[in-house]
Amino acid sequence: MSEGYMGKILMVDLSTGTINEEIIPDKIYENYLSGTGLAAYILYNMIPAGADPLGPENVLGFVSGLLTGTGSLFAGRWMAAGKSPLTGGWGDANCGGNFSPAIKRCGYDGIFFKGISEKPVYLYVKNGRAELREAFHLWGKDAVEAEDILIRETGAKSRVALIGPAGEKLSLISGIVNDRGRMAARSGLGAVMGSKKLKAVVLNGAKRIPVHDRDEIRKLSKKCSKWVRFQLPLPPGSMMAYVGALMRFLPTQMAMDGMLYKFFLRKWGTGSMNQMSIEMGDSPIKNWLGSNVDFDSKKSISTNPDVFADYELVKYHCYSCPLGCGGICSAKGKYAETHRPEYETVLALGGLCMNDDVDSIFYLNELLNRAGMDTISAGATVAFAIECYERGILTKEDTDGLELTWGNSHAIVELIRKMIKREGIGDLLADGSKVAAQKIGKGADRYVVHAGGQELPMHDGRNDPGFALHYSVEPTPGRHTIGAQLYYEMFQLWKVVKGLPRIWPLYFKSGKYVADEKKVVMGAACSKFMNVVNGAGLCLFGTFIGSKRTPTFGWLNAATGWEKTPEEYMEIGERIQTLKQAFNIKHGINPGDYKLSNRAFGDPPLEEGANEGRTVNIEKMMSDYWKQFGWDARTGKPASESMTKLGINQVHGGR
Amino acid sequence: MSYTITGMCNGCGACVRICPVDAIQGEKEEIHVIEEGLCIECGVCGRICPVDAIQDQSGALCVRIKRSEWEKPQFNNKKCMSCEICIDSCPVDCLGLSEVSDQKDPHGYPYMENEKACIGCGYCALECPVDAITMIVPEPEFSGK
Repeated sequence: MSEGYMGKILMVDLSTGTINEEIIPDKIYENYLSGTGLAAYILYNMIPAGADPLGPENVLGFVSGLLTGTGSLFAGRWMAAGKSPLTGGWGDANCGGNFSPAIKRCGYDGIFFKGISEKPVYLYVKNGRAELREAFHLWGKDAVEAEDILIRETGAKSRVALIGPAGEKLSLISGIVNDRGRMAARSGLGAVMGSKKLKAVVLNGAKRIPVHDRDEIRKLSKKCSKWVRFQLPLPPGSMMAYVGALMRFLPTQMAMDGMLYKFFLRKWGTGSMNQMSIEMGDSPIKNWLGSNVDFDSKKSISTNPDVFADYELVKYHCYSCPLGCGGICSAKGKYAETHRPEYETVLALGGLCMNDDVDSIFYLNELLNRAGMDTISAGATVAFAIECYERGILTKEDTDGLELTWGNSHAIVELIRKMIKREGIGDLLADGSKVAAQKIGKGADRYVVHAGGQELPMHDGRNDPGFALHYSVEPTPGRHTIGAQLYYEMFQLWKVVKGLPRIWPLYFKSGKYVADEKKVVMGAACSKFMNVVNGAGLCLFGTFIGSKRTPTFGWLNAATGWEKTPEEYMEIGERIQTLKQAFNIKHGINPGDYKLSNRAFGDPPLEEGANEGRTVNIEKMMSDYWKQFGWDARTGKPASESMTKLGINQVHGGR
Repeated sequence: MSYTITGMCNGCGACVRICPVDAIQGEKEEIHVIEEGLCIECGVCGRICPVDAIQDQSGALCVRIKRSEWEKPQFNNKKCMSCEICIDSCPVDCLGLSEVSDQKDPHGYPYMENEKACIGCGYCALECPVDAITMIVPEPEFSGK
């Protein structure tokens, strides 16, 4: 009997309207967990090589985590997965809120969609019955309006994941939204949902989720919650910029203990880093051309965490989260409320575009969340367009009269409104910066900052080379939620996984920039661990608190009744990573092409600011990382032996 | 496993009306049936059945309890983490999240939003990872002569 997981998935064929349950054998969960691991197993087999990501052969999955609903904390993440129309390879995206347990409460670990519907539909599942319903009345509505309508139609207990107009219009930078504006934003999976004419997935279930040892889980969760709720007093938010500046000046660095970041998150959320990050060189500025010198603390003061705290009405907790890093905020203008803009949103729409108008950031946050468009990619695409305008590649004629200069918040707002509507210049930019550059020509591709077509997040690899590495080697390129030197320090995996290098509490910064073997050992460990985390459905921020304080492996054993060691779980992570890489190879991706843009790894290096003179030895790091997985060091392709060792070849012969 | 209905059933339909997952079917005045795959073992059919015709998953006969004597959750906000597990676990959606009343504590807390809907299943207390919920029979608001 399954414990921890439901042992079933729902398979919906939108072309024929048929809906079937499929039993998943226990050995699949033991080899791939649930979440993205389960999705990788299903999609690797189901999607034929060369399938059009926006065609009927692509399969879109909504998966819950193995620990979701078991009493484990931080287990409220659900994941979307499919072939990405943005990168052409493996795509996944991850989101919190209350949708993840709803998948399991309906009796499934995942719900998968293939085919294309003739007309707009939504899936409705209640008490073991699933049906496709017409969605004409929802098509064109924004994600918040449509969610409100669906809840009125189906009951307050319904949990909804849906697309906004951006996904309907097949924007390649669109995501899937739930809980009034939270978004599984990356990889462009909103467009996959839109291509299938699937407006929403509405779940209303009350199934019991089987747990092997609830007392043990309770014991582990109580201990973990004590760490989370322990809070030290913090200085005013406006001081955070000075902390960042101090970190920039010091030649030494303290290994980051995630408890410190936890203090920030609990008080201010991810926005705690808005100013600090710029000052220490973590956040890119001016489409990665600028630095803290160009966007100094006088400009960024409008986004200091205390300003955001003034807008906050109540903390927002995702399902099973004791931390509550989110916030519901009041907002000026058309929308009265918005989820507190996250760090990535603030910096992508702020410093990256040289925009210091905080009201515009609040407005765009809500506008993009409702449209279902990724705030990171939208901000990065605008920054690219501004650079093109400033260089004369785009003219006022091209921009429909917009004065697209650095920091012109009115023009930025108008441009994003056009992108959502696919109107004029907005149509050109609605598929992200790489596609736009190809259409513009005139050498515009030199100013796109991306990895594999995915716009880069707001963490600079020139400050922490680990980010540059993971942006370039992950099967989902340009992803900031998997690894970095900073993350390795916070995960503290060496305390529970044998053989991993420890980080000393204080070290010289200069060592961070040497591309030695230790860096890729740490990088590979982060990738493997995050595959376990995404299989479990845990939140990255929960795991930042440290692997002894947030007992990922202990919870997994208690929920399932398995007796696996941390090393065995890390091998599962390796298997999932290798399978996702194999997915990319199957679909014709050359892993070397995912290398991030030259500008972002310091070629040429910056001439001033926090990251002055730094270049990341990215090609060596990529090659060394591939070797860690037993993949070909030159091409990044998983060797047959490594596939066999992990049992991947056998599994895929059998399905 | 699932609850089952015995031959004592008089087909009154009380269980059908209260079952939170529509797992019970049957014609009026005929013996009803619980669909095993849908039953969530909340036990409310056993508590409401006027003729004690319901057996739990272990085969034990359930005894009717007056609705005013069904247990209800009581919340300890000092232990509560605002994680909303209890709200999600409730099969009848009777719990809500409070608004912030104290600026020093900006978190919302669960409370009984719709007491009439509560079926006393205790799943909120069972799933709470930090034992912040206890199930108790509420004192009557007024106990006259």
